[in-house]
Amino acid sequence: MIDMTTLFTIVLMAGVTYLTRIGGYVVLRNRVLSARATAVMEAAPGCVLISVIAPAFVSRNPADLLALAITFIAATRLSMLPTVLIGVASAALLRLFIG
Amino acid sequence: MSISQAVEAAGNGSQSEFRRGVTSCAPVQVGTIPYALVLGAQATQKGLSTVELSMMTGLNFAGGSEFAAIQLWTSPPHILLIVAITFLVNSRHLLMGAALAPFLRELPRRKVFPALFLMCDESWALGLADAKQRAAAGIGPAFSPRYYMGAALAMYLTWVAFTSLGALLGPMLGDVGTYGFDMAFPAVFLVLMRGMWKSVAAARPWLVSLVVAALVYLFIPGAWYVAAGAVSGLLAAWLMAGDA
Repeated sequence: MIDMTTLFTIVLMAGVTYLTRIGGYVVLRNRVLSARATAVMEAAPGCVLISVIAPAFVSRNPADLLALAITFIAATRLSMLPTVLIGVASAALLRLFIG
Repeated sequence: MSISQAVEAAGNGSQSEFRRGVTSCAPVQVGTIPYALVLGAQATQKGLSTVELSMMTGLNFAGGSEFAAIQLWTSPPHILLIVAITFLVNSRHLLMGAALAPFLRELPRRKVFPALFLMCDESWALGLADAKQRAAAGIGPAFSPRYYMGAALAMYLTWVAFTSLGALLGPMLGDVGTYGFDMAFPAVFLVLMRGMWKSVAAARPWLVSLVVAALVYLFIPGAWYVAAGAVSGLLAAWLMAGDA
């Protein structure tokens, strides 16, 4: 049950991830990063995460948009577990009643 | 009381340090379980087998990037897209590793490299906070490898076990969209981003990413919106850093 392309992708993912883990220790430990480079590196994960979920923000389904708004508000003040529960529950209920 | 017991009672015993790490990690561990289950279930919906998913979470062991990869997964997967996204999501490890490096000076490299394999947001934060606390209290060496390994291994086992369990249970759930489980992705991502939040100014590149990604998603077919959003956000961060 292992597809070769999938396996290859997973091994490459694991490889680049391990490089990010040791890279800071190996390369950056004796170096001072410029403010600009630090700003870019600090912004990078958020830029990717928000880009991946961007389609949800322009959904044509009003129930999904409303559920996303509720999830967004929950995420600004609650921890992971309650936010996920509220997000899933609001999406399920709103889809059921609004469509 | 034997000497080893006396040392352990004093909090320097290797056993008690490891246990202290496992214990301090417990609250985050519990919070990880539901989203590990969701990731596993979603992965099977995208056509990954349980073995494949276990390999991904066991070898890669970086939740944010795995959520992104599963969200973008197609059959067959866009290898370059997924690997590039994995790198970008995990690029924060570079800064985390650099911050931890001063505390790792006394450790031999044969211990540092395996320890860094297990460096995730949680084990890093716990290990670094503990090292700073011990340094402030005058305890040397500041970094406790066994405390760190206790926390890190607990996170690792929880993550791999519960993502795998999610993959096993996934097919029984049917289409996750029906129950609203797909909203777990934005929920997880938004909470992760709040954890990264520094200031409104520092978050402006995220807004650029969101707007560009959304527009590209609406008007250009395919998965280009992720790359377009990410690159424009990084560019914005680069340009905005000048006036900050």
